[in-house]
Amino acid sequence: MQLMVEARNLRKTYKRPDGSSIEAVKGVDLEIRQGEIFSLLGPNGAGKTTTISMISGLVEPTEGDASIGGYSITKEPMAAKRLMGFVPQEIALYPELSARQNLAFFGRMYGLGGKELGRRVDELLEFVDLSDRQNDRIDTFSGGMKRRINLAAGLLNNPPLVYMDEPTVGIDPQNRRRVLDTVKLLRDEHNMTVLYTTHLMEEAQELSDRVGIIDHGEIIAMGTQDELVQQVGEEDRLEITIGAQEIAESHLERMQQETAGVTRILCNPPEQVSDDSSESMPAKLTVFAKRGRTALPQILQDLDSAGVEIQSVAVREPDLEAVFLALTGRALRD
Amino acid sequence: MQKILVFASKELYTAFRDRNLVLLMFATPLVLSTIIGLAFGGIGGNSDSELPEFADIPVAVVNLDVGVDTQEVITLPDQFANLDALPFDPGDLASAFNQAGIGPDQLSQNGTALNFGDQLAAILLSQPVEGSGTTTTEGFDLTELGCSLLDDSENAGPPAVASQGSLDDLLNGTAMDNADQARAAVDNGDFVAAVIIPPGFSKRVIPKFAFDDNLRLRAQSPGDGGTVEVYASNGRPVSARILHSIVSGIVNQFVRAGVALGATLETSANALASGIVEGEIDLGAVDLSALPTGLQNLNAAALEPLGCLITPGANNINVTQQPLAAIQEAPPFSRVIVPAGASQAVFFALFTGVFGIQSIYQERRHWTLQRLIVSPTPRVYILAGKLVGNLVTVFLQIIILLAALTLIASIVIGQPTLIWGANFAAILIVTLALSLCVSGLGVFVVGLAKTPEQVNLFGPMINISLAVLGGAFGFALPDQAARFSLIYWGVDAFMQLANAQTGIAVNLLVLFGQGILLFLVGAWLFKRRLDL
Repeated sequence: MQLMVEARNLRKTYKRPDGSSIEAVKGVDLEIRQGEIFSLLGPNGAGKTTTISMISGLVEPTEGDASIGGYSITKEPMAAKRLMGFVPQEIALYPELSARQNLAFFGRMYGLGGKELGRRVDELLEFVDLSDRQNDRIDTFSGGMKRRINLAAGLLNNPPLVYMDEPTVGIDPQNRRRVLDTVKLLRDEHNMTVLYTTHLMEEAQELSDRVGIIDHGEIIAMGTQDELVQQVGEEDRLEITIGAQEIAESHLERMQQETAGVTRILCNPPEQVSDDSSESMPAKLTVFAKRGRTALPQILQDLDSAGVEIQSVAVREPDLEAVFLALTGRALRD
Repeated sequence: MQKILVFASKELYTAFRDRNLVLLMFATPLVLSTIIGLAFGGIGGNSDSELPEFADIPVAVVNLDVGVDTQEVITLPDQFANLDALPFDPGDLASAFNQAGIGPDQLSQNGTALNFGDQLAAILLSQPVEGSGTTTTEGFDLTELGCSLLDDSENAGPPAVASQGSLDDLLNGTAMDNADQARAAVDNGDFVAAVIIPPGFSKRVIPKFAFDDNLRLRAQSPGDGGTVEVYASNGRPVSARILHSIVSGIVNQFVRAGVALGATLETSANALASGIVEGEIDLGAVDLSALPTGLQNLNAAALEPLGCLITPGANNINVTQQPLAAIQEAPPFSRVIVPAGASQAVFFALFTGVFGIQSIYQERRHWTLQRLIVSPTPRVYILAGKLVGNLVTVFLQIIILLAALTLIASIVIGQPTLIWGANFAAILIVTLALSLCVSGLGVFVVGLAKTPEQVNLFGPMINISLAVLGGAFGFALPDQAARFSLIYWGVDAFMQLANAQTGIAVNLLVLFGQGILLFLVGAWLFKRRLDL
């Protein structure tokens, strides 16, 4: 399949005010095929936005290059930019202009004009179901409606490639569902390639043909969901919340050795929420097991005999969260 | 190019859709100017009966001019030491002088000293010259010249001049000997201003002559004799500006007269020399016996046309004559609102200039800038669109304010009044120059600042400093300080146009020059703000 995006050794270093430097992205290599939804999954601060900013020409890479449809973003930026649409995390619209005026303005910046521009604006207002509010100012819209116009503004030039940087941040479940359906529609009916960044595993899992997991500025895994799960082994994950208690390391080791199917146990100790309160996050045990549901009764019995108070238990089948946890030792939400 | 215009149009649209901004841009300066106009100018249009501020302006006049001796004016070449090198037979000249009974002693005794400072002082003091007038040989009375300015009688001059009012209505001059005492008297509030004529004033007006290698007489640039100082009172800036305008006009006439005199003498002397050299004039046949009498009569005979030439009121000094008439005829409200309104318009335009450009930070925060950069639009287009948009916004703001002030003045006066004058092309050019300067300053300030907080701090500080320097807060600083402010140059240009003057070339030069420089440097600095 033809490549739409090809990034090689993308690197971005920022200078701090004290003169030292910080490497936000450390040599990312990326290939995105035409017509696929590729998700860049990682926790906040992992380098997703910086990576997408370099690929879209917003930020100049310190090193490396990316090409869009064969055009280098550093050497032929205008040709590359004509092939892409951009849906940023923020509502990148003029609040004092109406929905229609915003779309018309950005459309002109993409070189559209006259009847073509009017027709395209009409189509997009219809597409995001906001034709009836087209002449209202953006600052009178709800968060979800702004998101929809924000999305429409990224599609004005009918681009073969769309960047979406966490487009569901801060919206209600109903509008979130609408955005996710729209993304799938763009791929399925308009044959667009979508580069989607998110820190939400569920979104990446639902949308993506392929996923790149990024942490501390590096892609640590990339592939289809099945490929990624296979990388870490097909293990269930038992998440056991045990309140503000601590378990001896020796007890955990014994439990791992004696319980059939258990390969690994991680223990997150209780965390105090704030300095001045007694409130704390409960401790959590994460048990990786080949057949989690079979091993669960014995694990619970062991903990009970050790006097551990169990607050909740969840059995999770292999997913991207597990992959991330397995690769980094941290949960995506940590 | 189309994208630049699209961006500039968006800037314009958003600026004029912002109610708070519109309030700051238009309502505030209009209200302030109207209040000032009503407080100091009153209501109504009768200029004859109401001249509380602009009649009998007390002025101290200090004339330090030592004059210039005509014998210093011409520099003889070295060839004159060797008489054989002359292009004509010197024996003929000596013979002619001998026949007339004129020896070397008589010639040197009749050196004539010109003192234009005396004449300027006399004009401002509205009195005849006594003692050393334009010549040292005899007293000289300007009233004898038949020029109307200092004589209000109907028969004294052209009727058109007499009906326009004269300087002695406007000024109440007092002669003083000491410049420091005059300045102190202004500081004490005894005078609105002191006009101090420097010792070398005449030297600056009168051109010098020298012979070139071919023994042709050539006029040279006048020497540097210092400039006339108008030391003005902070308390009555409008009166001070009027006086400044009058003095500038008169001095310009002196300079023009000097240039004309130089050209005339140069041409005449060279024609005479050619006649002698080519034998067309026989020196032996020339009767020079009347020369001593002629020299004695030089003051009355030769200086009369010169006196008229440099006297406001003569037909050949339209430039000076018109503003006097315009100032005297304009209704009091109009006279106040022109400087007050112009300075307020420019002052508030300064805020539009800075904060309009500063909106780039808002674009960045809202991510509209990022969306634009990701679009196939070169960054330089975005920069140009922003700058053009701001420039047009400032231009429209000033033009709308000028129009609104005209409307207000017409309502207050009770009849349609073009308070900015009728030279619409010049008004547009001055507004454009001011807009370029104001917008350029905005670009420069935002480009220089590292954060929006710095712009918020330094922008108003710079604007207020310029307003203080430029006299926008109701008091005027000395010209030397005021000239650092673009408000001074803008207001001065508008006042000149309001007074039907056209001498705004320097104002335009300063404003356009400053504007272009600020724009270029500012744009170079501002470009960094587009780096993310």
